[in-house]
Amino acid sequence: MSNEFNIENIAKLASINLSEEEQDSLSNDLSIILEHVNALSDLKLNSQQQEIFIHPLEKELELQEDEVVESLTHDEAISNAPESKDGKFVVPPSME
Amino acid sequence: MDASNLSIREINSLFTKKELKPSELYSKVFENSANSEAALHAHLTLFEEENIKKAAESDKRFSNGESAGLLDGIPIAIKDNINIKNYKTTCSSKMLSNYTSPYDATVIEKLKEQNTLFTGKTNLDEFAMGSSTENSAFGLTKNPWNTDYVPGGSSGGSAASVGARSSIAALGSDTGGSIRQPASFCGLVGFKPTYGTVSRFGLVAFASSLDQIGPITKTVDDSRIIFSSISGEDSRDATSVINNQLDIPSDNTATIGVIKELMEDGISDEAKNEVNKVVEILKSKGYKVKEISIPIIKLSISIYYLIAPAECSANLARFDGVRYGLRVDGNTSYEMMENTRAEGFGAEVKRRILLGTYALSAGYYDEYYGKALQARKEMIDEFAKTFKDIDYLISPTTPTQAFKSGEKTSNPLEMYMSDLCTIPANLAGLPAISIPTGLSKDQLPLGVQVMSKPLSDNSLLDFSEIIENEVQFDGQPKGWL
Amino acid sequence: MSLKPTIGIETHIELNTNTKMFCRCAVVDTDEPNISLCPTCIGLPGALPVPNKKAIEFITLLALSTGCEITSKGMFHRKNYFYPDLPKNYQISQFDLPVGLNGELEIVIDENKDYIQIERVHMEEDTGKSSHSGSGRIESATSTALDFNRSGVPLVEIVTKPVISSSKQAVAYIEELRQLSIDLNISEGRLEKGNLRFDANISVASEDSTELGTKVEIKNMNSLRSLERAIDYEIERQTKALEEGIEIVQETRHWDENKEITSTMRSKEGSADYRYFSDPDLPNMFLSEEFIKEVETLMPLLPKAQREELMTTGLSLSQSNILSKSDEWIKKLYVKVFDQTKDSVASYNWITGELQGQMRKANIEVLPEWFNDDYLPEIIELIKSDKISFTSAKIILTEILTTNTTPSKVAEQKNLFQENDSEKISEMINQIIQENQDIVDRIKSGEDKLVGFLVGQLMKQSNGSVNPGMAKELLLKELED
Repeated sequence: MSNEFNIENIAKLASINLSEEEQDSLSNDLSIILEHVNALSDLKLNSQQQEIFIHPLEKELELQEDEVVESLTHDEAISNAPESKDGKFVVPPSME
Repeated sequence: MDASNLSIREINSLFTKKELKPSELYSKVFENSANSEAALHAHLTLFEEENIKKAAESDKRFSNGESAGLLDGIPIAIKDNINIKNYKTTCSSKMLSNYTSPYDATVIEKLKEQNTLFTGKTNLDEFAMGSSTENSAFGLTKNPWNTDYVPGGSSGGSAASVGARSSIAALGSDTGGSIRQPASFCGLVGFKPTYGTVSRFGLVAFASSLDQIGPITKTVDDSRIIFSSISGEDSRDATSVINNQLDIPSDNTATIGVIKELMEDGISDEAKNEVNKVVEILKSKGYKVKEISIPIIKLSISIYYLIAPAECSANLARFDGVRYGLRVDGNTSYEMMENTRAEGFGAEVKRRILLGTYALSAGYYDEYYGKALQARKEMIDEFAKTFKDIDYLISPTTPTQAFKSGEKTSNPLEMYMSDLCTIPANLAGLPAISIPTGLSKDQLPLGVQVMSKPLSDNSLLDFSEIIENEVQFDGQPKGWL
Repeated sequence: MSLKPTIGIETHIELNTNTKMFCRCAVVDTDEPNISLCPTCIGLPGALPVPNKKAIEFITLLALSTGCEITSKGMFHRKNYFYPDLPKNYQISQFDLPVGLNGELEIVIDENKDYIQIERVHMEEDTGKSSHSGSGRIESATSTALDFNRSGVPLVEIVTKPVISSSKQAVAYIEELRQLSIDLNISEGRLEKGNLRFDANISVASEDSTELGTKVEIKNMNSLRSLERAIDYEIERQTKALEEGIEIVQETRHWDENKEITSTMRSKEGSADYRYFSDPDLPNMFLSEEFIKEVETLMPLLPKAQREELMTTGLSLSQSNILSKSDEWIKKLYVKVFDQTKDSVASYNWITGELQGQMRKANIEVLPEWFNDDYLPEIIELIKSDKISFTSAKIILTEILTTNTTPSKVAEQKNLFQENDSEKISEMINQIIQENQDIVDRIKSGEDKLVGFLVGQLMKQSNGSVNPGMAKELLLKELED
């Protein structure tokens, strides 16, 4: 296992603006944790299968009928909005 | 007689016999909060006004002889990551400090149908990530046995509340031990049901394939009553299952296994002693007890600390300041999201999100997350094999008694290691319970964990009750007085 | 250096189910923002996804109709990226186990058939809608407003293999896909409403190269016209660049409808890392043989089969193609008219030419309820039997589109029956000649063109009822004498 990571890149992917100190301490923390997690690399696994979903009880997905169930009113839906106008949620401009 | 010390059935009997009124019980329970909250800080919010009304309605029902059931008029504390309509759900995070939920979790709907009272919302480690409740953005919760010590986590507030009798019982959530460990630290019963038997709809997700809601109570029977009320397949949770219970023997025809890997290094002698104590009791009652080895258990922490962070990194992505919760401004919406998440999340949450993001990222998936999934499947298979000959597995709940506040906050790994005994049940979806069995030399509670195969929850509760009756742990904490 | 283009198209089709993909909110078509929402489709904490059966039926139907292999054990994945119109900041989609794989679609360009290979067909959910304030251009927007009504609507994504070689083929492909989705009844296929959206991947390489060139993604083509123009523009741009030795950058470009160019989009640094992992909230989806068989019973006559059938009536491939892409009522009408007249040319021309043309001019969207299936055959028969002229037929059609009457009645009332009696015609000719002696003289002295004038006079005087062919013939004969 490589354990090489760039904390700035990861923070970008996770959309968190880390301070310099945070970058250092979190980088350190991740190193420690990943070193421990390395124990997995020694594990010889029996299962050859490609990734499968793990529901411990192996439940199958149940498909639901296409029938409308009323839920939130407009006011309820927008009630916690930090900013809204004319019934829409407002955010700073988003780039495509 | 202090009714707040009684079990649910005992209280209900008093209600039915009209020897006690629900409003009287609520007064007592509220009095207990008044006397303990300043010292323990178990609750984040209390629902006093509403409860006075509800308790009065419950009074009427009992006096008319038309009560709704065992939970009618019983005040239960709710961990603040479970949504109750029109009340705040903060998850003990700055991110949601002003968030009011417009809907009820399924478990809350079910309890409302039973006319249960909710004392209020209890403190937790932020977004359920932690083992001490020290990660809360709104202050520490103290252990009711000794306020220098943590109550455990992440459901620390729920456990402290039941310990202080500021609620008769509580709901917590358990992803890697967050019900069982605080129960053990606070001398209470903590039960994590089989994965899928209790709906997760309305529980703020931490790790979707591991989370379960469950009770923290004074007795096993109380947990049984609550489990029966909150369980059941829910069409709003695709991972929920029909609660078709498998009956396995709880009498001495059952075979008991003691997990070797959880009785080795890293486990304190005191914790081992509690297990041995219980084993002796069982042997004396004629149970067959064996030592069982499940080697892959030693990799639990590694597997868990890849799967849980990976899932949580996606589950917590929705907290971005757009539709609800904290917003910190920015020139663009990307900046706004990045700033909001920087300020809204505490260190532990950031740690796990970043770890999870890394484990899923391009080029690292196979090594980390992919490997962890395969290992998890193996663990599930190993347990299934074990349960062919063994009915119940016993281990310590935690490696040690509760620790002091601040003792483990420097090294994240050290805190994670304390989840060693509880994590396997989450990985394999097993029902698991912690029962208080004794006190350490520091006069802090110790507990023993029992696990059984998926969907054998009722049998597990029966078996645990047998141990409970033999052990007769009847401690009541008074550490804050 | 001769270069050839390679094009692949990614299409998203909005399914016209009653409810969204992962919740039971109604799919709405309204300008009123944020009125069809629930915890799940706005990503509230604690919400969970539950799948829509009808959507799965529809995607399976689409996959079957394009000859795809159906994945019997599939799963949903989380596609992780941050954007304000994506409430959870991940989209539930499918990664390596999509519903359909390896299909193909028959397309028609003029009289030629071709086959476009389809790589995959998968299920996902739509995002909310953003509107940018300010000048309307993203670069100078001052804020963005979000409407989540569309968030969670079921989307099918269909990706072709990179086998399309021209803009014409691309257009034919989208037209066929659109018609297919309409005939399958899974979408209304309205491009202007965004029911179908498409992006193109274009690369250019030398004819004898075995490798494909650098691929560029083009977005923001909102109509077939812009699809065609954007592809042509991009092929030219890349060709020119390569001829000048300039390297093509792998990027996403935006089609500017006004300037009619593609331009670099302001993109994030580096390519996106979506960190796909299987969604722990959604167990494996097993599509049984039984399920697939049930879905097959919903299969209508597909456009390509419709074309085959139409061609047996005598239509060309191109004509059959046009009909197969017409509204249902037109297809039905053609069949009825052909059944009666056995004349494919007349039936086709009258319906697609005169009928549709007149309806468009008069702004009639739907045939009036009195418009009988027999009317067109009647008109066609009247023309065939020389009873009316083509001009008269047009007049009759106009009348029966607006008035509740029959072709024969109109012909009678308006005196449109042709005079085919040569004696009667000769009488009228004699009169015309007498009245236009000067013209006759001019004709006799060589001005042949004026014959038409006399025929015109004859038609005028007879109210168009004289058989024009006969009239000219008899007139010429008369003039010779």
